[in-house]
Amino acid sequence: MKTGATVLLAIAAMPALLLGQQRWEQQVQNRLARAVDALPATSTLPVVKRSGMLNTSEGASFQTPLTEHVSYAIIAVCDDDCSRLQLTLLSSSGSDVATERNSESLPTLHFTPETTARYGIRVVMEGCRWNPCWYAIAVVPLRKTPS
Amino acid sequence: MASVKRWVLVGLAGCAALALAYLPPRGATARDGSFFRAQVPWGTPARHRAQALADEWRSADASLRLLRARRELQGVLRETKAGTSLVVVSESADVAIATPPIVDSAFHVAWRQLDLGETKVRVAVIIHLAVTGPVRDRPTIEGGIAAYLAPDSTDRTTCIAVLPAGIYWTRVFRGATVSRRLPFDALVQTLKTGLGPCAFYARYGAPGKSVRGWLVARGWDLAMTLDVGARRPYRNSLIEMAEPRYPWYWEAVYSLPPTAVACLASRVDGCRAAVLAGANDDPAIPVPDIVRIDRRWGRVPRLLEGQRFLGDVARAVGRDRFLSFWTSALPVDTALAATLKRPVGEWTAEWQRDFVRPIRLGPTPPLGAVTIALGIATLALALVALSATRRQVQ
Repeated sequence: MKTGATVLLAIAAMPALLLGQQRWEQQVQNRLARAVDALPATSTLPVVKRSGMLNTSEGASFQTPLTEHVSYAIIAVCDDDCSRLQLTLLSSSGSDVATERNSESLPTLHFTPETTARYGIRVVMEGCRWNPCWYAIAVVPLRKTPS
Repeated sequence: MASVKRWVLVGLAGCAALALAYLPPRGATARDGSFFRAQVPWGTPARHRAQALADEWRSADASLRLLRARRELQGVLRETKAGTSLVVVSESADVAIATPPIVDSAFHVAWRQLDLGETKVRVAVIIHLAVTGPVRDRPTIEGGIAAYLAPDSTDRTTCIAVLPAGIYWTRVFRGATVSRRLPFDALVQTLKTGLGPCAFYARYGAPGKSVRGWLVARGWDLAMTLDVGARRPYRNSLIEMAEPRYPWYWEAVYSLPPTAVACLASRVDGCRAAVLAGANDDPAIPVPDIVRIDRRWGRVPRLLEGQRFLGDVARAVGRDRFLSFWTSALPVDTALAATLKRPVGEWTAEWQRDFVRPIRLGPTPPLGAVTIALGIATLALALVALSATRRQVQ
């Protein structure tokens, strides 16, 4: 039911989204939507999404609040020309909490914070055959863990 | 007698040393023919100063125009339909005007001929039409000098080119009859060349840091045109048009930098140095990254036909291998040699031979001068030998 609603919403919004949008951007948005759909996300907390483009060796980061005792899946996708994407979760003080660099173009992190705080997420384009490469990130709350 | 032989040897060695030191290089023979020669008109120092100031003004004006265009084009680019990677706008006397249909059409033909299609880096071209009346409050904008704003962190996907149309093309665009048949093919060719670095950005995306720093340091002189066309016949300079028997051929040769002259002589080290000049381990990339390219006749290149060097490399190695060089994090010499699968100097020397027959370098005495010098030397040695013989104690 949820997948059907997502598809209908995507079709309705398509003309506006496609206006001036390059196919690589569309490619990563579609990939991210599929990856999010495959996860057992909770409907009570919003899914945070970011996207952009980077040249080889460039990085970008943003901050997002994470709620204590909620399991999150942080997934990043990139376009066909990207060969390696590094995803890092940072604490509010800026130190590395977890890094995923082994799954090439679909890095995923699972994290359950002990305290509610703003966490940083950094993505580094380690390999892009045809610059710039598009990427998209989603922070998906999965379910509340029993306290 | 032994003493005479020693003196003869010393004399000959002296002559050889003098010849090596003083003989003119090949081709630099004295000009024969008429005593009266046409003189190249040289401007006064005041005129040179005025021209230098005008050039600085043009450079600053082009930079301002590019930065203003980037802001103004955001809206235009947002409104373009998906898949459109080329936007052409026109202006004249700082006023936006409708792009002449022939320009729009020729640009799209050029885009298609360059096989660009939908690209990651879009190209926005601003055609700057010349003002027909006299302009007295600022230097005139000259055709042949284009300015480019490369993509950077503020906009990674747009390369902007400002192309001054010049008087001739402005008249063509405005519908004036300048020839019986509208030179559409020539226009397409001009626009293909005019895309310059933006064509490389469109085809191969943003280069890696080392390649970009190298190209920026050199003013993109090795990547001025993506459209390389056939290597022969190609007549872009006096050197390619003339023959070594003419003095002006050698004047053109020696106006080139020493490494380019060495490369013309198929010297591998010279070719390598000519290509890799500007490459260093810590390249500096300016922000905004504005490139100004002078395509006017008479400019002195760092390497003969250098404007098509990277285009030819790309064609020789294919898109995938060229992309691995273009985005490589390795130093330029390593990345280029790995892509070519040969030392850079060797490949370049062979490439250079496709345009001109290798020249011979080194001292070259004129035949008449050699004959006279040898005659004088023989006479001097004979006199010395004779006098030495007479002074011997019997």
